[in-house]
Amino acid sequence: MRDVEARPKRYEWLILLALLLASLPLLVGFSLLMLSSFSTEMVTNLDPGSFHFTLENWINLFQGKIATTGGIRVNIWRITLNTLIVALGVAGVVTLTSTMAGYSLSRIDFKGRKTMMVLLLVLHAFPGVALIVGVYLLYRLTFPESTGFVGLYSFLYVILARAALEIPMSIWLMKGFFDTVPWEFEWSGIIDGASRITVWRKIMLPLIKPGILSVALFAFLAGWQDIIYVRTFLIYQTLATFIEANIEAEYSHMPLIAAAGTFYLLPTIIFFLTAQKLLLQGYSGGIKG
Amino acid sequence: MRAAALWLVALVVFGVIASGCIGGEETKTSSAEVQLTGDFTKDAVEIGKILEQNGVKEVKFSAWGSGDPNSVMRVYGIVEAARRINKIWADNGINVKIVITDTHYVASFQDAYKEYLSKQPLGQAGDFFVNSYAFLPTLADEGYILDITDYAKAYQSVIDDFYPSLIEASKYNGKLYGLPQDTEARPLYIRKDVAAKIGFDLNGLDEKVKNGEFTWSDIYYWAKKAKDEGAAEWGLIHRKGSAHPDLIQFIFAFGGRLYDPNTGKLVVDVPAVYKWLYVEWKFARDGLLPEDIMSWDWAKQIHPTVVEGRTLFDIGGTWYWTEWQTKQYYAKGGTPRGLKPEEVKEWFYYTLFPAGEKGEKPVTLSQPFVWMINSKAGQLNPKYDELKDVYHKLAFLMLIKASDPDINAIHSVISAHLPVRKAAAELIKDEKWLNDLKSLNLDLSDEVKNNIRDIVQATVNPINAQFLADVSYMLEYTHLAPAHPKYPALADIFKEAVDKVLRGEMKPDEAVNYIIQKVNADPELKDAVEIQGEIPKDWKFPQG
Repeated sequence: MRDVEARPKRYEWLILLALLLASLPLLVGFSLLMLSSFSTEMVTNLDPGSFHFTLENWINLFQGKIATTGGIRVNIWRITLNTLIVALGVAGVVTLTSTMAGYSLSRIDFKGRKTMMVLLLVLHAFPGVALIVGVYLLYRLTFPESTGFVGLYSFLYVILARAALEIPMSIWLMKGFFDTVPWEFEWSGIIDGASRITVWRKIMLPLIKPGILSVALFAFLAGWQDIIYVRTFLIYQTLATFIEANIEAEYSHMPLIAAAGTFYLLPTIIFFLTAQKLLLQGYSGGIKG
Repeated sequence: MRAAALWLVALVVFGVIASGCIGGEETKTSSAEVQLTGDFTKDAVEIGKILEQNGVKEVKFSAWGSGDPNSVMRVYGIVEAARRINKIWADNGINVKIVITDTHYVASFQDAYKEYLSKQPLGQAGDFFVNSYAFLPTLADEGYILDITDYAKAYQSVIDDFYPSLIEASKYNGKLYGLPQDTEARPLYIRKDVAAKIGFDLNGLDEKVKNGEFTWSDIYYWAKKAKDEGAAEWGLIHRKGSAHPDLIQFIFAFGGRLYDPNTGKLVVDVPAVYKWLYVEWKFARDGLLPEDIMSWDWAKQIHPTVVEGRTLFDIGGTWYWTEWQTKQYYAKGGTPRGLKPEEVKEWFYYTLFPAGEKGEKPVTLSQPFVWMINSKAGQLNPKYDELKDVYHKLAFLMLIKASDPDINAIHSVISAHLPVRKAAAELIKDEKWLNDLKSLNLDLSDEVKNNIRDIVQATVNPINAQFLADVSYMLEYTHLAPAHPKYPALADIFKEAVDKVLRGEMKPDEAVNYIIQKVNADPELKDAVEIQGEIPKDWKFPQG
């Protein structure tokens, strides 16, 4: 295997072609979804005859109409806001917890550190679905009596429950990033009289910005995409549950669902496009140490 | 290590005790009660006064519904009922208002049911829930819906106006748990243009089907003729999926049954199931029915094949009639479009699902939707514990109001479902009323009018009303799929067997054995199902 820099350029097109071929099914799938969202019927078999341009699906979606005629109007913006609250909440909790825990595991030697690291890995191995009965039990036990807090509580609970699934892996990732920072930076701070928290906040965090961004981004996407926890615990709809609830093939106007699906994809695409550079930095930073 | 084990045991014990505590209902008696008299206005006023005296100014309720997009009156019926009761209160100087806070509506009724199941214990499910009668026994068993038997006694005259079979479908263990909201029939549609090409005379066919003279052997004969003479690409198109009862009709058409009321068990009626699978197998082998139809796409294959006249027969539901008008399935000539009512009328003949063979009877199958009340209805309101009885009775009055003939008739016309009340059936025959509906010149709230306006424009016309009136007689021949918790699992196995015979992977007798094996392989299902009868020997299809 040669280094990236030393690889001859003339075979580049071959590699590109292979990559393109490998990702073709995915590209075709997403393209058909997007095309269908602008068509009167689903474009599913590469037949150009089935594409008839219309903006109706998008207009209906933004008006909250789930069918060409009929259907109860839903507030799609409210649903998007719900999704955003969950995604940002998960990203916030995961980032905060994993940056602190990752730092501790990387830098501080305390009793049970190794056990904790092993347990974190074990925790990551448990799929969310397997934990849902226990998590539901806890939800029922802690459910508020007062109906006024139910909405807020269900948001908080789903954010914490979903974040808990992401945290073990994120801590490991963050630990990897902290490991890459030389001890000297920290020592100089401590010698100058800074506390561990100050060192963590003022010296370490700026150095691992790409790592924080990648953890936050993946946590955001985990929250944005979650369906099982959101469906079980959140009393409001998110985009994922909205799409799922209306996908029943016989009744639904599928091009409209395609528009909802494309709309649902947008943040992911935007995030990846804008944060691509930082993410790649984060990736290389993570494995250098 | 020992300490850790003890901790673990303690944790498990705590978990078990905690889970036992969950759902424990507090038994509080309400201090305010109201007696229903059967005089609607008087009862509403009485309830309004009690609420007012207790300082309640606003009563919040939520309504959950599900189904096809045109069936919005399943939820707006409740919204309209609230407005009508508000008006009675305002006319009588009562300063209380019902507000419908949440109108939750999803396409998949199975999903809606699952959501209700998971949210009801948390007090987050809708106060009103409309769904298939098939889920009613489980919900009643769990204590999730209100027993309205005693409330209904005061309104016996209204109850008597519902079709009795539908009231029976709303009962469980002899108690009434809801009021019917709608139902449907599943006709056999026949393309008139294709029939004309092959000399298939449809005059009087309806009577022949009713008398059991026209059977599935005749359908085979004409389907084959249509195919052989090139009049159509297919002889028969039917739907896919399992839980829907379209194909299950075959079992009843061959004189079989699905449920034994004496044992409370589901039944695999081997002779009837064998004959059903044989018919499917024969049609597919002779190229009259697509062998891969169980995986066809609804919008791109099944409906277009029917509306474009590429088949002679189609097994469908009454709601197809308007679905073909509101969805763009017809793509002959380029751009897909919906059919005009005149086209549907001109192209389609409809009749009962014919008898399987001579000596049997024609059938149809219904899956009534039922309006149910949450057993915690009104819990988001002030002084719920003290006024529980009042809130529950108010919820019942709302169901009575939502069942007003005009609300039920509007739902029927715009969604092509059958009315559940005789008074509503009369109303849809009234041309003046139909014209008023068309122009929305009815006593309805603005919210309801705005939300049904485009559906009304697309569906309300004399042709559609006539269709509903024409098919109403089918309810006399109706069967209900069993409201048994294990029925969906059995229906899934039937679906697999149908798929296998259609594709030619199994012969009908092998498929019957496959069904029996699958049932026996699942201990819970095995306990819930009786296998009855044997594969008939020397049975022939088609018969002469």
